[in-house]
Amino acid sequence: MSIFLSQIANGLMFGSLIALIAIGYTMVYGIITLINFAHGEIFMVGAYGGLATLTYWVPTAVVARWYFALPIALVAGALVSMLVAVAMERFAYRPLRNAPRLAPLITALGVSVALQEAVRVFYPGATAAIPFPPLFIQGAFVIPIGDGVVIRYTGILLIVVSLGLAFGLERFVERTRLGRAMRATSQDRDTARLMGIDPDRVIVLTFAIGGALAGVAGVLYGSYLNNINIDMGFQNGIFAFTAAVLGGIGNIRGAVVGGLVIGLVRALGGQYLPGGTAYDYVWIFVVLIIVLVFRPQGFFGESERVRA
Amino acid sequence: MSEVTSESASTTETAEAPVRTVPAAPPARHTGRLAGPLNALAPHAKIGMVVGGVLSIVGAYLAWSTFVLNEGAYPERATLTMFVEPFGVTGFRLHITLLGLATIVVALLRVPAKHRIVRGLGVGVTAVAVLNGLWITVEGGGLGAITASDGTVAFGSIVALVGGLVTVLSATAGGLEDKPVWEWKLAWWVEWILLLVVFVLILLLVAEVLTSGGQGGVVNPYAGVVFLSLLAALAGAFAALNASGLLTWVGEVSERHRVFSVVVLLLCALALPFTGAGTEYWMTVASNIGVYAATAIGLNIVVGLAGLLDLGYVAFLGIGAFVAANLSGAAASVIGIHVPFLLVMVISAVVAGIFGAIVGSPTLRVRGDYLAIVTLAFGEIFVRSAQNNIAGLTGGANAIPNIPQVALGSFQFNQSISLGPIQLPGGVMYYVAIVLLVAAVMLVFGNLKNSRLGRAWIAIREDEDAAAAMGIRTGPIKILAFLIGAMLAGFAGAFFAHKTAVVAYDSFRFLESVTLLAAVILGGMGTIPGAVLGASILFVLPEKLREFADYRLLLFGLALVLIMRFRPQGIIADKHRKAELAEDPEDAAKEAPGALPTEVK
Amino acid sequence: MAFLEVRDLVVAYGAIQAVRGVSFDVEEGQIVSLIGSNGAGKTTTLRTLSGLLRPVSGTVSFKGEQIQRLPAHEILGLGVAHSPEGRRLFARMSVEENLRLGAYTRKDEDGIVADIQRVYDLFPVLGERRQNKAGLFSGGEQQMLAIGRALMSRPKLLMLDEPSMGLSPIMTQLIFDTVKELRAEGTTVLLVEQNALAALGLSDQAYVIDLGRTTLSGTGAELLADPRVQEAYLGEGVGAE
Repeated sequence: MSIFLSQIANGLMFGSLIALIAIGYTMVYGIITLINFAHGEIFMVGAYGGLATLTYWVPTAVVARWYFALPIALVAGALVSMLVAVAMERFAYRPLRNAPRLAPLITALGVSVALQEAVRVFYPGATAAIPFPPLFIQGAFVIPIGDGVVIRYTGILLIVVSLGLAFGLERFVERTRLGRAMRATSQDRDTARLMGIDPDRVIVLTFAIGGALAGVAGVLYGSYLNNINIDMGFQNGIFAFTAAVLGGIGNIRGAVVGGLVIGLVRALGGQYLPGGTAYDYVWIFVVLIIVLVFRPQGFFGESERVRA
Repeated sequence: MSEVTSESASTTETAEAPVRTVPAAPPARHTGRLAGPLNALAPHAKIGMVVGGVLSIVGAYLAWSTFVLNEGAYPERATLTMFVEPFGVTGFRLHITLLGLATIVVALLRVPAKHRIVRGLGVGVTAVAVLNGLWITVEGGGLGAITASDGTVAFGSIVALVGGLVTVLSATAGGLEDKPVWEWKLAWWVEWILLLVVFVLILLLVAEVLTSGGQGGVVNPYAGVVFLSLLAALAGAFAALNASGLLTWVGEVSERHRVFSVVVLLLCALALPFTGAGTEYWMTVASNIGVYAATAIGLNIVVGLAGLLDLGYVAFLGIGAFVAANLSGAAASVIGIHVPFLLVMVISAVVAGIFGAIVGSPTLRVRGDYLAIVTLAFGEIFVRSAQNNIAGLTGGANAIPNIPQVALGSFQFNQSISLGPIQLPGGVMYYVAIVLLVAAVMLVFGNLKNSRLGRAWIAIREDEDAAAAMGIRTGPIKILAFLIGAMLAGFAGAFFAHKTAVVAYDSFRFLESVTLLAAVILGGMGTIPGAVLGASILFVLPEKLREFADYRLLLFGLALVLIMRFRPQGIIADKHRKAELAEDPEDAAKEAPGALPTEVK
Repeated sequence: MAFLEVRDLVVAYGAIQAVRGVSFDVEEGQIVSLIGSNGAGKTTTLRTLSGLLRPVSGTVSFKGEQIQRLPAHEILGLGVAHSPEGRRLFARMSVEENLRLGAYTRKDEDGIVADIQRVYDLFPVLGERRQNKAGLFSGGEQQMLAIGRALMSRPKLLMLDEPSMGLSPIMTQLIFDTVKELRAEGTTVLLVEQNALAALGLSDQAYVIDLGRTTLSGTGAELLADPRVQEAYLGEGVGAE
C-alpha cells in the first residue's frame, strides 16, 4: 500500500512537470498546428540557462540560500527559454508560414537537433550529466501509512508551481484581451486578422509563454533530480507531447490532466508491469499510440478538432 | 538542326507559345537593394565579366598565405605551405583557373543564357576563395595570414574573391536570361557514345570527390578544405552547366535511352574499385553509403511517394540487422543456428515487413502529424526494447558481436581479390554486393513509382480524401507502402549486420531516422537518384570533415532548417511533385503575409 | 477623390487569376453594391480590400491613402471593417466575446461597453443570449452577430459579404433594413450580394462584376432597369420575394 501511494506521489510530481512542458506543445499546436518538436529542447535549454546563471553570474553566497537561488534560477531559466523559443519562431518557423505541412515539421526536427548540439558543444562540461544545485528545502516528510510514504519537499514545490502556473495561464487565456486574441487566432486565423489581431504577434506571444513555462519546468527538473543532461529534452518532450494529445490538443486543462496521467503511467507501470522501470518509457509510448489511434481528440478535445 | 527554345512558363501568355527563340539579353532594369550599382554596371557587364575572370586567374597564382606556422607534433599539420606555393597548377588553383578561363570565354562568345552561366562560374570562384581564405585565416592564426603582414604578399584569396564577386555582379547586372531548352536529336549511336562519356566522367568525378584530400583527420591536415573546395568548384561548374541547359538536355537524352543509361550507370558504379577510390577504406565507406542509400530508398517510398511521414524508420533497418545477427551463427545469438546469407536476407526482409505492416496499421485511423508521432513512438519502443535485450535477442548494451563474414565457399567477402595483374582491395565484394542491392532496390522503386500502386500512393499523398473518392482503397495501400518500405530496410539491415560484424541498438536511434529522412529530403523526395545522392552527401561529409566532428550534428540540424527554408524540394526536384513540399515561390508571394494556403477555391 | 477608390485590381490564387481588372468608387455615406454570379470574384475583391489577400497589381485608396500593401490589422485600424462570407464567427466563444473581439483594437472600455449595448439594442435577440456560444445560433442570428461584431470597431467603411446568404426572406429584409439604418447613421457600406434584386433596391451605386472584371455600373435603380442585368441576374425567381 505504501509503495503504491509512494508511486502515486512520484507520478504526480513527475506528471506536473510534464504538464508544464505539455502546455507549450498544446498552445503552439492549437495556434499554428505545428508539432513543435524543438519544444523539448526549449525545456532543456531552460535548465542549462538557470544553471549557468547560478554557476557563473550569481555569487555563491546567494546561491547557497534557496529563497534567493530559486527565484533567480526560475526567472533566468524562463527568460532563456523564452528568448530561444521566440528566436526559433521568428527565424525558423515564420518564414514557413505558408509552406506545405511537412516543411515546418522537418524544420522542427532540425531545430531540435541543432539546439541540443549547441548546448553540448558550447556549454562547458555538457557532454556528460551536470550536477544541479538543490533549490528548495531539502528533506522530506513521511505520511504514516503502512511503512510510511515519503514525500520530498522539492516534489511539493514542483506540484504547487506547475499547477499554479497552469491555473494562472488558463485564467489569462480565458479572461484577458490577449488571451481572447489567442483563442480567436487558433480558431480562425483569417477572421482574427479581420478583427485587427496581428497573428504574428499572437504567435510570438504563444511561443514566449510556452517557452517560459518550459524554462521553469527545466529548472524545477534540475532541482528535483539534482542533475541535468542534454538528452532530457527529447525524452521528456515526447512525454509532454503525449500528455498534450491525451488531454486533447489545444486545451490547457487537458495538458495538465494528460501530464498527470503520464506521470502515473510511468510510476505505476515501472512498479507493477513486467520489465520494471527499464520499460516504463515503453508504456508511455504504448499509451500514446493507443490514444492517437482510438481517441485522437484526447480526453477534452472536441471531435471537430480531430485533424486530417 | 539545332533549335533553341526558352523554358519560360511563368506567365500564362508565354506558356501558350510552345516554341520560342531566346530573347536577347533583357534590358537590365534592377529593383531592390542593389538596384543602383547594378543598373550602373549593366552597360559594362561584358567587360566586368572578363575582368572578373582575369582577376580570378591572377588570384589563383598569387601566394595565398604569408607565413609558415609550426605548432604541434606534425609539421605538416600546422604549416600552410600548400597555400604559399604559387606555381603548382593543381587543386584549388587548377579549379579557379578553369572557372576563370571559362568565364572569359563564355563572356566573349555569343552563348544563350550567357549571364546566367557566368554567374554560376563566378559563384564557384567566390566560394572556393572564401573557403580557402577562411581556412587559412583560422588555421594560420588570424587575418594576418592572408595579407602581407610578414612581407610576403599573399593576397591570393582576396584577389580571387574580388574576381569572383566582380564576375557575379557583372553577370547579374547584365540581366539573367531564362534557361534555354535544347532540342538536338542525334543519331542513336552518337547519343550512346555521348552518354557513355558523360557517365564515365561522372564515375571519375565521384572517385575524385570521394578520395580528394585523402582520409582526413590526422593523416592530412588539408583534407577538409581540399574536399570542400573541390565541392565548391564543382557546384559552380554544375550551376553553369545547368544554366546553359545542357544538363537538362543530357537528362533528356538519357531518358530516351533509358535501358542503356541504367546499364552503363550500373557498370560505372561497379567500376569504382578500379579507380583511385579502390582502397579498402573507401570500399568500406562506399558500402556504408550503400546500406543507407538502400534504406533511404525504402523510406522514400513511404515518405516521398505515399506522403506518410515516418520518424521511426530506422527501426526496420535494426529489425533486419538483429534478425540476421541471430541467424548468423554468431556466438552471442540465442538462436544458435546458421542460415545461408541469401535466405537470411529474405527472412530479415519478411520480418521487417511484418513489423512495417504493424507500424503502418494506425494509418487506417491516424493521419498527418499524428501519424508521424505514432511512428516515432514505435521507433522509440524498438530502441528501448533492444536496449533492454528483449527476449535475449538484441544483446542489449553488449550488442551482438562477431557476426561471421558472408562467405562464398571458402571465399569471405572481406578478402581482397586478384584479377590477373589488378589487385582489388578487401571489402570489394561487399561493395559489389551493395551496388547490386541498391540497383535492385532502385529498380523496385522505379517500377513501383510508375505502377498502378505508385499512382495510388501519389494520389493519396496529394489528397487522400479525393483518392478515396476515386475508389482507391487507401487503407491497404498505405499499409502496403509501410510494408514494402520496411522490407527494403530489412534487406539492407541483413547486409549491414554481416558487413559491420556488430549489431548494437545504438545504431538505430531516433537521430538515425532523422538522418535518413534528411537524406531523402536533401536529395529530393520521391525521386530515385535523390535518396542515393542524399545518403551519399550525408554520410560522406562526416567522413571528410573529421575536424568538425564536434559540430557535425549542430551543422546537420541547421542544414535541415536551411534546406526547408530555401530548397524544400531537395537537390533533385520531382517533376510531378507539387503539393507537399515544392511550392512555387511566386504563388506564395502573392498572398498576404499570414494568409492560410487553404484559401484557394 | 472618392472615399474608397479601387483601380484595375488583379488578384491571383497561384496561377489562377480570380480578379482580373476590377475598378470602382465608393462615396462617403453611400451604400454601394457589387453584384455578380457565383465565382465572379466579388469575395476575392473584398478579401483584398481588407488585406487578407495581396493584389498582383492595381491600387486601393481609402481616403486618399493607398492601402493595398497594408496588413489586415492595419487596414482595420484605418476604419475599414469586413464581415466575411459565411459569417465566420468564433463559434466556441460567447456572443459577448465575439463582440469584444470586434473591438479588439480599441482601448476605451467605456466606449466598448456602450457599443456592445448598442448592438444589443439593434439586435435584441443577441442581448438576451449574450453568454451563449455563437455556434449555437441560427443563421439569421449569426448574421446579426457578424454585423454587430464588424460594427464594434466603429468602422467608417463597413464591408458585408453576402449578408443574406442562407437567410429566410424575412430575415433578409431585417438585415437590409439594418444596413439602411447604418447608412442613416453615417456609415458607408460596401455590399457584396448574389441577391441582386434586394441589393440593388437599396444601393446608391452598384457595379456588376463578371468573370473578374467590372462590366457595368450605375445607380441601383439604373441597373435594376438595365435589360442586361435583368437577364443575367434578375431572371425569374432569383432574389424574388
